[in-house]
Amino acid sequence: MANFILRKAEPKDVSDILRLIKELAKFEEMEEQVILTEKELLEDGFGDHPFYHCFVAEVPKDQQSLEGYTVIGFAMYYFTYDPWIGKLLYLEDFYVMTEFRGIGIGSHILKLLSQTAVKTRCSSMHFIVAENNKQSIEFYKRRGASDLSFEEGWRLFAIEKEDLLKITTK
Amino acid sequence: MNFKIRAAKQDDCKDISRMIMELAVYEKMPEQVKISYKELERDGFSPNPFFECLVAEVPEEHKSEEGYTVVGYALFFYTYSTWKGRSVYMEDLYVMPEFRGKGIGKGLMSKVAQVGKEKQCVRLQLSVLDWNTPSLEFYVAKGAQDLTASEGWHFLRFDGEALDKLANEAPKD
Repeated sequence: MANFILRKAEPKDVSDILRLIKELAKFEEMEEQVILTEKELLEDGFGDHPFYHCFVAEVPKDQQSLEGYTVIGFAMYYFTYDPWIGKLLYLEDFYVMTEFRGIGIGSHILKLLSQTAVKTRCSSMHFIVAENNKQSIEFYKRRGASDLSFEEGWRLFAIEKEDLLKITTK
Repeated sequence: MNFKIRAAKQDDCKDISRMIMELAVYEKMPEQVKISYKELERDGFSPNPFFECLVAEVPEEHKSEEGYTVVGYALFFYTYSTWKGRSVYMEDLYVMPEFRGKGIGKGLMSKVAQVGKEKQCVRLQLSVLDWNTPSLEFYVAKGAQDLTASEGWHFLRFDGEALDKLANEAPKD
């Protein structure tokens, strides 16, 4: 049984965080969409205006992964705002390396996140999941999550840079 | 009709709160509005704001039937995509029905895009209810892609009891 700790990410973790982001994107079959660099992660998370917060899961050296990693999971979140209920905690990414699953790391990360949400006076924790990711949807629903796309009909939209620039110049 | 798009001030929160309720009524969920202008003042105008807001204002001679000159708003904040970096999320965009069709919605949204661009955001995201055809058409015409349809993304939420229960089971420090 692996020992692990959960702690706040530090600037030195950005290389591991990017590696885990790419692993998760690969699982979501969208690896080529990751264009973020370590430099941006560093500036955006640990600069003057942090755009995100992050926890990492770490195992001792003697339990490192096959390729020698000790940082084996992470959760990235930030605060958003719902004009109906106020502050929210938005969970952007949440991932544990496959060889470290099934020992409670994911559950502990989720509990830590919800504790953070309650401590910071957030009414709710929101996140998105791809509908074909049945395993994750079940994981969250078992713990009481509601699917707002299904129940209320919310659809997520994005306007990418090219079209954004068109909007600003019109 | 002339209109001005400007950053909201603390004093605007009563108008913003009024319009938030109007939008919630349109979205058929008014009973879900739990906060008032006081929370908006605290959360948007303190040293560490949780959102930014733009308002659309018309001159006195064009005020609404009930006498309002603040006739539209856009509420947004910054988010982070682990794939692409800094993003803007437009949480609410609303123009009072009697002031529609004059470019105010477009003006508000352009300003949000501009503010995002200044902060080097690469994307603007928003969500729309699946039955809200006028809004869906408005956004798609500007290049918005429905990621729920094309990539299958669903919004999930933990709140109230479910959130408390999860938090109570958290490991002690």
